[in-house]
Amino acid sequence: MLHVELVLQGLVNGSMYAVIAVGLTLVYGLLRILHVAHAGLFTLGAYITVLITNATGSLPLAVAVSAVTVGVAGMLVYRLLYEPLLDRPPYVALIASIGLFICMEEGYRIVFGPYGNSFDTMQLTERINIGPIGMAAADAAMLVGAVVLLTGLGLLMKRTRFGVAWRATVTDPAMARAFGIDTVKVRYVNFFIASALAAAAGALVAVLNNLVEPTMGSVPSYKSLAIIVLGGLGNVGGTLAAALLLGVIEAYGTIYAGSFLDRDAIAFVFLIAVLMVRPQGLFATGRP
Amino acid sequence: MRRTLQRLALAALWLTPSAALAQDVVKIGFHAPLTGFAAADGKSARQGAELAVQQANAAGGINGKKIELVVYDDEGKPENTIPLANKLTGQDKVAVVVSGGYSGPTRAAAPVMQRAGVPYLSAYAIHPDITRAGDFIFRTGMMGEVQGRAGAKLVGELLKKKKVVIVAVNNDFGQALTAGFKEVAPKFGIEVLKEHTFAMPDRQFGPLVAQVKASAPEVIYAPGYFFNAGPLVAQLRAAGVDATIIGQEGYDSQRFIEIAGKASEGVIVTTSLDRDSSAPATRSFIENYEKTFKDRVDMVAASGNAAATVAIEALRKAGSTDPKAIRDTIRAGTFETAIGTLSFNSLGEVKKAVQVQVVKDGNFHRYAVIDDLGFLAPPEK
Repeated sequence: MLHVELVLQGLVNGSMYAVIAVGLTLVYGLLRILHVAHAGLFTLGAYITVLITNATGSLPLAVAVSAVTVGVAGMLVYRLLYEPLLDRPPYVALIASIGLFICMEEGYRIVFGPYGNSFDTMQLTERINIGPIGMAAADAAMLVGAVVLLTGLGLLMKRTRFGVAWRATVTDPAMARAFGIDTVKVRYVNFFIASALAAAAGALVAVLNNLVEPTMGSVPSYKSLAIIVLGGLGNVGGTLAAALLLGVIEAYGTIYAGSFLDRDAIAFVFLIAVLMVRPQGLFATGRP
Repeated sequence: MRRTLQRLALAALWLTPSAALAQDVVKIGFHAPLTGFAAADGKSARQGAELAVQQANAAGGINGKKIELVVYDDEGKPENTIPLANKLTGQDKVAVVVSGGYSGPTRAAAPVMQRAGVPYLSAYAIHPDITRAGDFIFRTGMMGEVQGRAGAKLVGELLKKKKVVIVAVNNDFGQALTAGFKEVAPKFGIEVLKEHTFAMPDRQFGPLVAQVKASAPEVIYAPGYFFNAGPLVAQLRAAGVDATIIGQEGYDSQRFIEIAGKASEGVIVTTSLDRDSSAPATRSFIENYEKTFKDRVDMVAASGNAAATVAIEALRKAGSTDPKAIRDTIRAGTFETAIGTLSFNSLGEVKKAVQVQVVKDGNFHRYAVIDDLGFLAPPEK
């Protein structure tokens, strides 16, 4: 019974990692930029969700507003920060991204205060019991939310014209342009989708913890980097699998190795172990 | 020549007012994490200390001189604290320094203060080595192990429960509390079934909750901070765990109750601040803090206020800014503060009662007071 619950809890955490890291891997796949400030957008999504829910009383409305606002914010980050740096070496954009992330964290602290915010009334507090296995509604929302979002993303990439254009741009931007694909538009849409996913993850975490804080992005910021490396940089499916696997490993690690390794250390021990055996990550890279 | 004179005159103009001002103020140094991961506690500590200074100034300052609080941000980082400790002692020439910071920065600053011979008061950092830096270093907050002992007494003697699971934050705060708890647990017949740790940034405790549920304890002793404890308590209750949860001063913030919601009801904490106290110093602090900052009091604010109050009182009683006189005044004196009546042992550790508070109807209230000072006695060396 304990093991069933551990695996379930691992999958809940893993699906949170997945929704954040997939956005990150989308950006990396397209632009070869390690978008650390993605975690800052995740925090923004969480704040907007809590503030709008408290103002209007409607969580679904808040999540929708948050996803759209943060999506646009992501497009602005691309336009104002990354686009001017595209012809510089990738570490320039990385440094800019880290700088933006720190500014965002301190900005949230100045605007929203250091104590963090909570929902006025806690959301999704029910408990769902399926036979002997019980689960908090917020945990279930995280799992279901991740499945819906990532399935939607999968369909978008496989079945739509945008998906074809996106994959073409990732594979060979010059050739894609030659075939009449508007690669600039692809980049904007890419940032919108990635950032909206981050906002959704932020909203789900806000519900799960009933707490949003200026620094809530700091752990996801580096852990999602580890996940996209594990998943094979730029590989969406691989990222998903790596995130879920890491969630379950952490769940077990917390219980059986927690006395000498903290949860964040477990992620990196796993990363190092995998990279020693498979330097390309668990799965092949999106683009060689 | 004329130019030199002009320059000298300018320099004199520039120097005179500040030199005159310097005689009219007494400076108290202060550092706390105003940015970064611990900014919430930094803000509370700072507001607590500022309130003490404001009130003392409104009452005429120290023997006619105004008090100035010189505030620095230590970011919760030891490496940032050493330069600013040097700045406080060397450049700002403060008479006393109050730490509103965590153990890391406070431990780093303590030897600097000791070498400079500046009295240093730690408001709520709990590491045992802080006061061991020397005779100028004092602690107005409880040591972790003292509070851990109080926790075991609460479980074994007041609640009469035996089966405990410990879930602690994996830093010096959690370790010291766990050590104190386990040190005296056998004396009260307490059996520790399992021990788990979590990291300070953790907010999701699903796997730990599953494990705690499987252990089926009577009591969960869970040292952590309000931002861990809020989600932890909510997740334990959501999973149907109904064991009594014992927290510590890290829980002591209205934010804990806001985050955990109804799940916080019945959680018992050991802390420094008694919300239901009738002592004038405590009542006046709670009322003035809530009026001034439009926010609820917490343990950190009360501790920052208490440490600043001791500093101000010591300056007043010593009647000078001679560091040795201030040190001896703190050592020999008794101080009425927001967290009760304080006096110090030979190591500079505070001697005071432990407050036990329970969450009831969305507020902290008095549950008990553990005032067996022999049992709680901090180490003397």
